[in-house]
Amino acid sequence: MESLQQTTVVTLVLATCLASAAFAETKKEYRFTVGPNANVSVDTQYGAISVKPGSGNQVIVTATLKSDKVEVDQRQNGNRVEVASHLLQGADQQTGQVDYEVLIPPDATLNLRSSTGPLTAERLQGDLSLEGTDAVVNVRDVTSGHVHVRTMRGPITLTDVRNGHVELASISGDVHLKSVTGPLVQASSGSGKIFYDGDFGSGGDYKFTTHTGDIEALVPANVSADFSAHSVLGRVQHDFPLQQPQHSRFSVEAGRSFFGTVGKAASEVVLRSFSGKIRLKQR
Amino acid sequence: MTCSDVERVLPELLDGAPDGEFQTAFETHVKSCPACSDLVSDLKVIASEARQLAATEEPAPRVWVRIAAELRAEGLIREPESAPKSAPTRPILVPTSPRRRWSAWWLAPVAAALLAAGSYVVSHKPAPQVAKQQAPGTPAASPAPAPPAVAQTPAVAPASVPNPAPQQLAQKSATPTAIVGLTAAPAAEPEPSEEDQQFLSVVSTRAPSMRATYESQLQAVNADIREAQAYLDRNPGDADARQHLMDAYQQKALLYQIALDRIQ
Amino acid sequence: MTDPKQRITEAEAIEQAKQGHEAAFEVLYHLHKRRVYSLCLRMVSNPVQAEDLAQEAFLQLFRKIGTFRGESAFSTWLHRMTVNVVLMQLRKKGLPVVSLEETLEADDEAPRKEFGAKDVRLTGSIDRLQLQRAIDRLPPGYRTIFVLHDVEGFEHNEIAGIVGCSIGNSKSQLHKARLKLRDYLKFMRAEKAKTG
Repeated sequence: MESLQQTTVVTLVLATCLASAAFAETKKEYRFTVGPNANVSVDTQYGAISVKPGSGNQVIVTATLKSDKVEVDQRQNGNRVEVASHLLQGADQQTGQVDYEVLIPPDATLNLRSSTGPLTAERLQGDLSLEGTDAVVNVRDVTSGHVHVRTMRGPITLTDVRNGHVELASISGDVHLKSVTGPLVQASSGSGKIFYDGDFGSGGDYKFTTHTGDIEALVPANVSADFSAHSVLGRVQHDFPLQQPQHSRFSVEAGRSFFGTVGKAASEVVLRSFSGKIRLKQR
Repeated sequence: MTCSDVERVLPELLDGAPDGEFQTAFETHVKSCPACSDLVSDLKVIASEARQLAATEEPAPRVWVRIAAELRAEGLIREPESAPKSAPTRPILVPTSPRRRWSAWWLAPVAAALLAAGSYVVSHKPAPQVAKQQAPGTPAASPAPAPPAVAQTPAVAPASVPNPAPQQLAQKSATPTAIVGLTAAPAAEPEPSEEDQQFLSVVSTRAPSMRATYESQLQAVNADIREAQAYLDRNPGDADARQHLMDAYQQKALLYQIALDRIQ
Repeated sequence: MTDPKQRITEAEAIEQAKQGHEAAFEVLYHLHKRRVYSLCLRMVSNPVQAEDLAQEAFLQLFRKIGTFRGESAFSTWLHRMTVNVVLMQLRKKGLPVVSLEETLEADDEAPRKEFGAKDVRLTGSIDRLQLQRAIDRLPPGYRTIFVLHDVEGFEHNEIAGIVGCSIGNSKSQLHKARLKLRDYLKFMRAEKAKTG
């Protein structure tokens, strides 16, 4: 049963005259009071969504509507807050755009969706799910949560994501990972590149897969991991002296695969591509 | 026997065979010493309660999906011969619950079929509702490789992917100027399958501004599938190539799912 | 459409799985999934890793199912395979499978008395969730032995063979694991009593 609980709507109307068309840009603010482990969803067909941690137990959503051809629907059901853009007749990518700025409790679960984006989430500790078609996705300074991102073409960038369970998938977007560590870090892209800059943490499972995109990992000399890399049709190369076990079912095909251990093999790193290049570079 | 002695012999006596030499002294001391009696009792309770923990946890449905896909990829699952008329029983399958309804309902089974394509044929299986069994805190729209609509309708994937002559491969449209092929002559883009045409038709109707984007992405993933399939046809024992083919199907399923999330 | 009342036995499913029937694999999976996954989860305390390990255990089983001749119970075979998969993963990550110390240490001596006269027996009042949490807190070496013996029911001679330690070490590690669990459970009890 839906109900609007403890919602305060503050509407600020800003009229902006444009040279070529008289669009009335409108700003609206919504506030929701939630308990611990809240669940917040923001969905817009067109527009940016930026999420940061707020203080206390409030979810504060500031929506900037680009025209009167789009509305914002919002509802709260207990600890679940849902905000979504709703296109009206005749709306297009410009007139249907709504940009959101959102403040949430740091431990809230977050779901964002936008076709155009960008999508940004930073300094959070809850589980994040971000989906964009062409949206640029940026996740920064996140600890201990699940981070799930899927895009069609939008590039995905994760920076300073620690102790996370990370699953990223893009059809043709590039994936950039900088200082991303955790028990599980998986990234896949069909034709996009995957670039990792970090030390693969300690005790995690890392798997990067592409079809045609290149994979590059830039790691320090004191990295500690079991590496295995294979490209069916592409070339592979590495800068490390890899220690190989005596018996292994992984066969080395010169130039197409490598495997072995650096340091104490705290983490496992699997790099796979169908025809992309794979490079393991030492910083 | 002292309390220290009890501690020393406990590992042997607590759940091992009675040892005549120490058993009597042990039992006598434990009866008369509340602390040792509590200790022995507590350790026994811990051991017995622990037994109740076996087989209490249930894995997420995606585990079976992955196992089945891998079994098919490795050729361990083979189509049965036509069921003999004399066989009265057929294996029962896991009870399931109604699938989620989407206004573009047909996209869901096609996405599911694509995920399992090449390795997973399903007949008359109602769909499990994966969303309810996901771990708390994880978003409902989980990314590939475990989409919600697994095993919903008969798979059509092998037929849905155009099969060009093996020598003509991989016209890439994601990077318009890049032509990747295993032979010198690039191939013309094959006709989209019926499912892909339906998909693009729905996109044109409901999100016309996205049509070109979806079409180009569809061409790219189909090209990846053809490329991987052709390589695997020539190298059937290559497990990595098989996995890449699976991954390419998963990419296509991801494309359908992203569209599904938008077109409602 | 299948008749829900028509079921196949495990033996029938095994034979059909050898022929490559998918439904038979699925029956075997659902019959044993809880046991396998629970074992993996207890050993590694990480649901994601446990899923991967369970998946690998079943895959290894199904790959070799053609060689199963029924000399032992199927579940025993699967059980043993699962343990091997988990231990291999632990070794690969450099995590201790069994603790190295053979003798009781000073802090494991005589029954603890620091909780004082008000300390209550655990008998009949163990909260299962608390026990699970306590097991998760055990050091990996202790946890392995405890899970194999007290949760999964392996005997010490079997554990010794599986993990590569002596029977005496297995008994010693088990005892220390139980002592630690007792301490954790009492601590949790005391904390809960404080907060009400």
